[in-house]
Amino acid sequence: MTDAALSALASLADPSLLLMLAIGVLAGLVIGLIPGLGGTGAVAILLPVTFGMEPEAALAMLIGALAVVHTSDTVAAVLLGAPGSASASVTMLDGYSMARQGQAKRALSLAFLSSMAGGLIGAVGLTLAIPLARPLVLSFGSPELFMLTILGVSLAAVLSRGNVVKGLTAGFLGLLLGLVGTSPTTAEERFSFGSLFLSDGVSLVAVALGIFGLAEIASRVGQRRVTEKPVELTGGWGAGIREWVTHWSQVVRGALIGIWAGVLPGVGATAGTWLAYGQAVATAKDKRKFGKGDPRGIVGPESANNSVEAGDLIPTFLFGIPGGVPSAMLLGMLLTYGIQPGPAIVTDHLDLMYLIVWAFAIASVAGAFLCFLATGSLAKLTRVPFAVLGPGLLVIMLLGAYQEGGQIGDLWVMVLLGVVGFFLKATGTPRAPFLIGFVLAIPMERYYYLTASLYDGGSWMLRPGVLVFAAVLIVPVLWALLKKLRGTSGQADDGHRDEHEGPDHDVDDLEGSMAGTTWSAALAVLLVAAFAAALWVSGSFSEEARLMPRLVATCGLVAALVMVWQEAKVWRKRAADVEEAFGEPLGTGGSTMLATRTRPVADEKALARAHDLRIAARTFAAMAGFLVLVMLGGYLAATLVFTPAFLLYAARTRLRTAIVYTVVLGLVLLALPSLLPVDLPMGILQ
Amino acid sequence: MTQHVDVKDVTADPDGSAVPTQDPQEPQDRAMPSPRLAAAVVAGFTALAVGVSVLGGDLLNPAASTTDGDYSGETVEMMIPLAEGGGTDTWARFVATELTHEVPGSPGLAPVNDDGGEGILGTNHFMSSARTDGTEVLVSTASTVVPYLLDMPAVRYDFADLRPILANGTGAVVYARSAAGVQGVEDLVERDKPLVFGGIAATSLDLTTLLAFDLLGADVTSTFGFEGRGPVNLALQRGEVDIDYQTTSSYGPAVEPLVEDGTAVPLFSLGQVDESGEIVRDPNFPDLPTVVEVYEQLNGEQPDADALETYRAILALTYTYQKALWVPEDTPDEAVELLRSTAEEMGADPEFQEAAAEVLGGYPIDASTDLAERIGDAYRVDDAVREDVLELLETDHDITID
Repeated sequence: MTDAALSALASLADPSLLLMLAIGVLAGLVIGLIPGLGGTGAVAILLPVTFGMEPEAALAMLIGALAVVHTSDTVAAVLLGAPGSASASVTMLDGYSMARQGQAKRALSLAFLSSMAGGLIGAVGLTLAIPLARPLVLSFGSPELFMLTILGVSLAAVLSRGNVVKGLTAGFLGLLLGLVGTSPTTAEERFSFGSLFLSDGVSLVAVALGIFGLAEIASRVGQRRVTEKPVELTGGWGAGIREWVTHWSQVVRGALIGIWAGVLPGVGATAGTWLAYGQAVATAKDKRKFGKGDPRGIVGPESANNSVEAGDLIPTFLFGIPGGVPSAMLLGMLLTYGIQPGPAIVTDHLDLMYLIVWAFAIASVAGAFLCFLATGSLAKLTRVPFAVLGPGLLVIMLLGAYQEGGQIGDLWVMVLLGVVGFFLKATGTPRAPFLIGFVLAIPMERYYYLTASLYDGGSWMLRPGVLVFAAVLIVPVLWALLKKLRGTSGQADDGHRDEHEGPDHDVDDLEGSMAGTTWSAALAVLLVAAFAAALWVSGSFSEEARLMPRLVATCGLVAALVMVWQEAKVWRKRAADVEEAFGEPLGTGGSTMLATRTRPVADEKALARAHDLRIAARTFAAMAGFLVLVMLGGYLAATLVFTPAFLLYAARTRLRTAIVYTVVLGLVLLALPSLLPVDLPMGILQ
Repeated sequence: MTQHVDVKDVTADPDGSAVPTQDPQEPQDRAMPSPRLAAAVVAGFTALAVGVSVLGGDLLNPAASTTDGDYSGETVEMMIPLAEGGGTDTWARFVATELTHEVPGSPGLAPVNDDGGEGILGTNHFMSSARTDGTEVLVSTASTVVPYLLDMPAVRYDFADLRPILANGTGAVVYARSAAGVQGVEDLVERDKPLVFGGIAATSLDLTTLLAFDLLGADVTSTFGFEGRGPVNLALQRGEVDIDYQTTSSYGPAVEPLVEDGTAVPLFSLGQVDESGEIVRDPNFPDLPTVVEVYEQLNGEQPDADALETYRAILALTYTYQKALWVPEDTPDEAVELLRSTAEEMGADPEFQEAAAEVLGGYPIDASTDLAERIGDAYRVDDAVREDVLELLETDHDITID
């Protein structure tokens, strides 16, 4: 075994293989930077190049790209709040907060170093896990996979910033959106209202970039100022490494969780990154800073999302079950070389397996190192006002979302979800559970249905794996309740934070600014209506297809009703406050729904809110206008009209900036289709 | 003309720098650039945009034409109506790459994946907009053929309006878990406890296996909802399901080890339809009986003629001619004939056969002169067959197609 490992390493010393690896790493890094392309884009661009190569060279190139895509996709999530994948949204929680406090460089260094370690540990894990993979995969039946999806959504709901009821409501809303399309069990269409476009379900990239990315553009375009705090670019690489080393145990734990989760086909990768975040929160003594820029919230998940890629290769090679499109394409490539996936691959092609392991390790280190060197210049991006970044970002993000399905409808869905994301953000409703719910909706339904049909009655609930997951889910809640009963509350140990404690250092002025106002009350009522409507519509589905939508809609309805009740409580309380106390400062916490405000402060806040709303409305209208232009004249033409108009009238940049910006963007769009596997949407006039 | 307007506007730009230069970091109170200039810049770019969309489209995508069957300098666009990375995608990319190398003039190849509606959207799109000059090719596979067969409302294509270039089949083997009490085909019927079959959806490739169970009267209950055949194979190893099928290319790695260690028993192959329309043993599994043989073994007589005809028709459609490359009906004969004959020569080339062994899964490329006729027969499904299938779906699986 060691012989094979060493000879594989020796073969990698071959300069032509190293060159292929380097090309793969560079391509992976560049593609990862563009939100929405991700691993699929990376493999799609490289695959045609590999036809006709030796299998070793082709593998080196593809693995090189796959290993680093999740390193560089952190950049958009941390700096711009635009995660291109479900796993990047986890890093975003703390990474983006940190970047907005002017510490973008610190956030990025931590993320890149963790990615590197995650990749390395993943590669070692890949080697060690090969003999263990089979029993591990076989011991995870449908009931365990079902519990894993539940755990993923609940962790996201409980751990995201904000209150638990709002988190759960957002999670149910995401689950509901995920159910749009063809049912996995009966192949009938649900919530598609006769549209063939919706029968495919909503595209993941459109959801992720809409709910986070576009909402971010709309809420920040109004701010002419860069960040509220000056960007700190101080502190050399040494400082970054030193800080990172203090979190080494989080890195290792995150990576191990990532490998384990990646090995489980289907649901592992998304749930795994949340489990990594969950364990970081659960094992921390002081949890108050999570969600506001805690380094531990970056290190663990970032290490996990790279090792997940390594773990994912195990079911791909050993069982021929790829965990995602990128590994499916890798599988296809192996097939064209006559390499059959299956347990025999370990004996028949051991040298190739080790080549993959080594290539993965080397690529992880090289990719993270390149990114780490570039952190300083990347972080400077946060100095550019969002109003100026806006149009370019919009054009690139919409283009990224278009690639998944090649449907203009996806772009409309994305803008619509941008509006939803804006209001969720403004009312302090966490958006991460929404995204995770969306991703896990179909697997959850699939494994619930399979569990219910393949096992007699409730016997599956007694399986050891199920019991362990149930314990992970329930014990912390019981523990928190117990503590509360004993009266030793205070340090919110149930994972979510009341956010009353201490002065709020939050720099994001929109986040939660509309909590406790008419807007959040309206949102709660609207959600009740949405869940009620879904419940009513699901009555028309067949019995099997109805099960999950009904369950989700009912639970969502209950959660949304609790939200309405909470809103009503705030209203009553505020009315009472206004009557008895005048001018007495009661609280300054700007981002909590329970914060009470005195009148002068309230007036000022109301003005700021109106300003934010006006700008957001204008920005979303501009996005819709852009899409209309795209449908008329095609993407390039629409960009040429939209960009200068937006820059001159909304961002009010100098003429020269507007012209150069537009010309550069136009040239990029012109060149992109020949460089990357990118299609530009066509208009009817073309 | 449009170009001219644009140039003038750009040269008017230096006047704009009369606006005091400011650091981009403090633009909050910046006055709007003069409205006239701003409007001029936007108008200039609009003119450029109109120019780009009207003229640029043709310049960037020069129209191809191969009416004379000359492919030099052309690019063949291949519509793959499924996602990157699947079995069909791998097959199509490999076969088309080899084919375009062989075609005189060595045209380029541009595969396009449009995976909407499980293949239906992309195929609809091809049907409505493909160029008819031999530079656009469609890939068909079971997931687009079954909805066509069932006449689903979303289907707006008709294989009768397309012309085949080449076809390639595959086969499948049904196997069961020994621990569920299955030693051979006789354990399929008259059971105390029905066998659990794991499937993806009754309206997918699973349909053929369901028809086989129906023909045999096998005591099987079906649970659909699995993500793919790989997960069903794992579920069988875990004991969650009892009976499964795998296509030829995955049988080796996924099932053979289970058969060797006694976990599973192979029962029968779905068979192949030969050139005379008979169901024969799968050349890749010469030792396994076909469904028809199993029926005879169990019942001592031939199956009912109508039921057999339904099975035969669906087998031909979903396995024997499972994957094919097509061009639009109005494509010039020269181009079609050139592609077909090149494919035939390529299929007979031992070098290609060796390179393609794994991708083709042991079934030859079929591009002989009578392909169009045979494939036409297979795809022209009788109403009686269609009704049989719809009835099976409705009575056994509660699925109605409206």
